Amino acid sequence: MSAIHLEHLAKRFGGFTALKAMDLRIEDGEFMALLGPSGCGKSTTMNMIAGMETPSEGRILFGDRDMAGVPMARRGVGFVFQNYAIFTHMTVRQNLSYGLRMTGRPKSEVERRTLDMAEFLQLTPLLDRRADRLSVNILQRVAIGRSAVMEPAIFLLDEPLSNVDAAFRAVMRTELKQLQRQFRQTMVYVTHDQLEAMTMADRIAVMDHGVLQQVGRPIDVYNDPANTFVAAFIGSPGMNLLRGRPVRTDRGLAVDLGVLGVTPPLAAPQARAAEQARGEVIYGFRPEQTTLAREGIASPVSFVERIGARSIVHLGDGPAVFKAVFENDVPAAVGDVVRVLPHADAVRLFDAQTGKAL
Amino acid sequence: MTRSPIFETFRYAAILIALAITLVPILWMASMAFKPIPEWQATGQNLTWIPKDPTLDNFRFIFGESSSNLIVALDRTAVQPIVASLLASVLGTLIAMTAGTAAAYGLSRYGSGQNLPLALLQLRLFPPMAVMIPVMIMWAFLGFMDTWWGLALIYGIVTLPFAFWLMKTFFDDMPREIEEAAMVEGCSRWRVFTRITLPMMRAPLASAALFVFILNWSDYLIALLLTTREWVTIPVYMASLSSSMTGQLYGAKAALGLIAAVPPVILGILIQRHLVRGLTFGALKQ
Amino acid sequence: MTLADAPLAPPVPPTPAEDGARLGFRLTLPAQVLVLFIAVFPLLMQLYISLTDWSPLAGVAWPRAWEFWNGFANYSDLAQDGRLWAALGRTALVMAVCVPVEFLLGLSLAMLFVDEFPGKRVAYSILIMPMMVVPAVAGYMFFMLFQSGGPVNGLLGTLLGRDIAVAWLSDPTLALVAVMIADIWQWTPLMFLILLAGLVGVPQDQMRAATLLGASAWQRFRTIALPRMKTIMIIALAIRVIENFKIFDTLYIMTGGGPGVATETISVYIYEVTTQDLIWGYVAAIALAILVILSVAAVWAMKRMGRAAA
Repeated sequence: MSAIHLEHLAKRFGGFTALKAMDLRIEDGEFMALLGPSGCGKSTTMNMIAGMETPSEGRILFGDRDMAGVPMARRGVGFVFQNYAIFTHMTVRQNLSYGLRMTGRPKSEVERRTLDMAEFLQLTPLLDRRADRLSVNILQRVAIGRSAVMEPAIFLLDEPLSNVDAAFRAVMRTELKQLQRQFRQTMVYVTHDQLEAMTMADRIAVMDHGVLQQVGRPIDVYNDPANTFVAAFIGSPGMNLLRGRPVRTDRGLAVDLGVLGVTPPLAAPQARAAEQARGEVIYGFRPEQTTLAREGIASPVSFVERIGARSIVHLGDGPAVFKAVFENDVPAAVGDVVRVLPHADAVRLFDAQTGKAL
Repeated sequence: MTRSPIFETFRYAAILIALAITLVPILWMASMAFKPIPEWQATGQNLTWIPKDPTLDNFRFIFGESSSNLIVALDRTAVQPIVASLLASVLGTLIAMTAGTAAAYGLSRYGSGQNLPLALLQLRLFPPMAVMIPVMIMWAFLGFMDTWWGLALIYGIVTLPFAFWLMKTFFDDMPREIEEAAMVEGCSRWRVFTRITLPMMRAPLASAALFVFILNWSDYLIALLLTTREWVTIPVYMASLSSSMTGQLYGAKAALGLIAAVPPVILGILIQRHLVRGLTFGALKQ
Repeated sequence: MTLADAPLAPPVPPTPAEDGARLGFRLTLPAQVLVLFIAVFPLLMQLYISLTDWSPLAGVAWPRAWEFWNGFANYSDLAQDGRLWAALGRTALVMAVCVPVEFLLGLSLAMLFVDEFPGKRVAYSILIMPMMVVPAVAGYMFFMLFQSGGPVNGLLGTLLGRDIAVAWLSDPTLALVAVMIADIWQWTPLMFLILLAGLVGVPQDQMRAATLLGASAWQRFRTIALPRMKTIMIIALAIRVIENFKIFDTLYIMTGGGPGVATETISVYIYEVTTQDLIWGYVAAIALAILVILSVAAVWAMKRMGRAAA
C-alpha cells in the first residue's frame, strides 16, 4: 500500500522549472535515494511527496491513492528535515513523544513507544535534557526518532547527515539501514553524497537540473551509467570521459583519442555500439578499472595523490585529462610516461552529442 | 504549503472585514472634508456616504476664505496652528534625536550613562498628566507658556526615550570594525562618530527621526495644557471649529483632521520596517 | 604602577579607555540633563507642593507654598475621594476590556498574515494605518461617527431595516462603549504589528514538522508558536497596558469625560482638577501617588517577567 508512484511530476516556481516531468515508482518497503548536486530538484520532489509543495503538473500516488489535495498532516509520512527542525524548547522526551501525544494516543502507549525508540537510538540517558543544549549528532537522532516513533509507512529524509561529522555519519548510515529493516518503511532519502546513496539505498534515482537521469540499483548505476552526467557524478573520482572517433584497427574496432593515440580494441558489445555511432563518441572507463601495462593509453603523469590504500594518478594535459586509481602505491613519478589499460569489459561508450550511453 | 480553499476563503473574508472596519472611519472623515454644507449637516436618512457635490469649500474656510453659505467667520485661520504643530514637532524631534543619538552612542560604545535605559523607560511609563503641574509652573517661570519653542522642548523630552532606545539598538547592531579601523588610522573618537558612524547610519537616523516626528505630531494633551491662544497646535485648534449658531463645523473639522492625519500615515507607511522596533523600544526587530 | 613611584611618574596622557569614557560622558550629558530637568526637579517640586494647599490662584508663587502647609492632609483626602476612585475603576475597566480585545483581534489577524498571499503588502499597509492617525483626530472622527444622526446609526439602521437614533455619546453606558470601540479601532493594529513580527519569527520548519507529526493547527500554535511568542506577547501587552492607562486624547475629545463623569478616566480626572478646580496641591498628591503605585507595579512586573523568562 505504501508504494510511491510519481507520474509526470513537475514543479515550476514562477519562470524557474525546478522539476521536469518526472516518472518514478518507489516500491513498498524500498529504500530509494534521490541523488544529485544541489539545485537538481531532489528536495522539491521530496517536498511534493510530503505535501509541503503543490505539484505544477502530474500526480503523486501512495499505493493507488491520489495524493492531490491531501494535506500534509494526513499523508502519514515521516519527514526528517535537513536542519532537523527539532523543537528546541522541549526535552528529548517531549520531542520523541510529540506526534504520539498530539494524535491523542493513550498515555501508557506514548510512554512505551517513546522509551523503545529512545532505547533503539541510544537516547535513553538524554531523555530529560532540553533539546537546545544538545550536539548536532544527537539532534539528528532525535529528529529521526521523532518521526520513526510514529511508524510511518513512508519515511522521507532530506539530507539528514549533511550536518553531522564524518565519523558519526558512518554510524548513522548503519543505524538508518537497521531502522528500515526493522520497520520496513518505504524510505526516500535525499542526498548529494553518493557514498550515502550507494551504501544504503536499494535503488538510486540520479537527478540533475530538474531531470531524472537514471534509476537503478547502486551497482548498476555505477557500472552502466545512462549518460555522461551520471558517469561523471557517480564514483570517486568519476568516470574518465575522453572524446574520440571510432577507428578500425587491424585488431578490431577502437577509438582514436587524438593526442592520446588510439585505444586498445573494444570488446564485442562496445564494438557493436561503436559501429552504430555517427561521428564522435565519448570513451569512458572507471579510473579504478585500469592496469598499468605495455599497451594502453600513453600519457605523462601530471600529479600523483597517495592516500594510503589507494593512489590516484592524474594523467594527460589540456582537454584530454584522465585519472587512474590503483591499490597500494604505484611506481609512477610526475613526468613519467605510463600506459594505462582500461579493463576491456569496463569500457563504456557515449554519444558525443547527446551524452547518452551507446 | 498546501492550503484548503475553505481556509483561503475564510482568510480573505476576514481580512476584507478588517479592512472595511479600518477604512470606514478614515474614509468617512475624508468624505466629510469634501462635502458642501448641506451634506455634512445632514443626519439620519439624509446621510451621504460619498459627496454628491464635492467641494473644496471646507479647506477654503479653514484657511480664511469665508464661505458664502456659512454665516460664521473664523477669528483665526488654521494657518498658525499648522505652523505651530510643524515647528514644535520638528524642533522637538531635533532635540530628542540629538540628545538621544548622542546618548545612545555613548552608551553603546563607551558604556556611559548606564542609568539611562531604565530612567527613560520610566519616563515613558508615567502618564504625562501626572507631571504636568511642575512642568506648567516651570514653563510659566521660563516664559515658555504658549510658545512653540516651549512646546518643542517638552516634546523633545517626552520622545527622548524612543529616540534613545531606537538609536541604541541601531548602534548595537552596527559592526564596530569600521570604527576601529578608522581609529587605528589615527582618527579621533569624536571624528569617528561624526564623520564615519553618523553618515553610515543615515537611513536608521532618518527612520528614527520620522518615528519621533509622528509621535510629536500626534500630541494633544501637552499642547492643551501648555498653549492657550497664540501657538495652539492643530488638535487644540480643532476644538474651536464650532459656532454657537451652527454648532459643530463638521466639514471644517474633517478637512483639518485630514490635513493632520495624512502626514503621519504616509510617514508611518514609509518606515513600516522599523515600526515594530520603535514601538517596542527596540526589544523586537523585524 | 605602585604607590611609591606614582609621584615620580610624568603626567600620563589619557589612555584610550579614559579618552573613550570622557567622550561617552559628554555624549550622554544632554540626555542626562533633560532627564534631571523633567524627572528629578519636577518630582521634588511636586512633592513639596503636594504637602501644601497651594493653588495658582493663591496669590503667591509656588516657592512660598509653605504658607499653605497642610502636611499629609492631601494624601489622607485621597482615600475619601470617591471621584478619584471611580475614575481609577473606570480606567481599569476600559483597560480590562480594550487590551484583551485588542490582543485577541490583533493575534487573530496576525495569524492570517503569516504566510504569503496575493495582496498581503497592501492589506498590511492599510491595516496598520489607524495607529498612525493622530489620536485627537481619531477622537474628532469617532465623535462624528457616533452622533445620533451619524453614520454608525445610519449603518445600523440599514442593517436592521429601521431608523436608529441611539444617542451614543450622551448615554453613560454607550459613551463608555463608544470610547472603547475607538481605542480598539486605533490600537488593535499595534498588537497586530507586534504579534505578527513574533509569529513570523517562529521557525516554519518546526511548524511543518509538527504538522507532519499530526498536530492540528491549534496544537501547533499552542505547543510550538506560543512558547516562542511568550516574551513578545508580554511586551505587546505591557505596552498596551501602560499606554491604555494614560488614555486621554481620543476619549476627552469624544466625551470630555462625560456625560457627567461616565467616561472620566484617571487622566481626564487629573486634567479636570488641574484646569477647572485648580487645587494644585491636591493634584500634586494624586499625581505622586499614581507615580509611586505605577513604579511599584512596574518593578513587580519586571521581577515576575524576569522569573518567567528564567
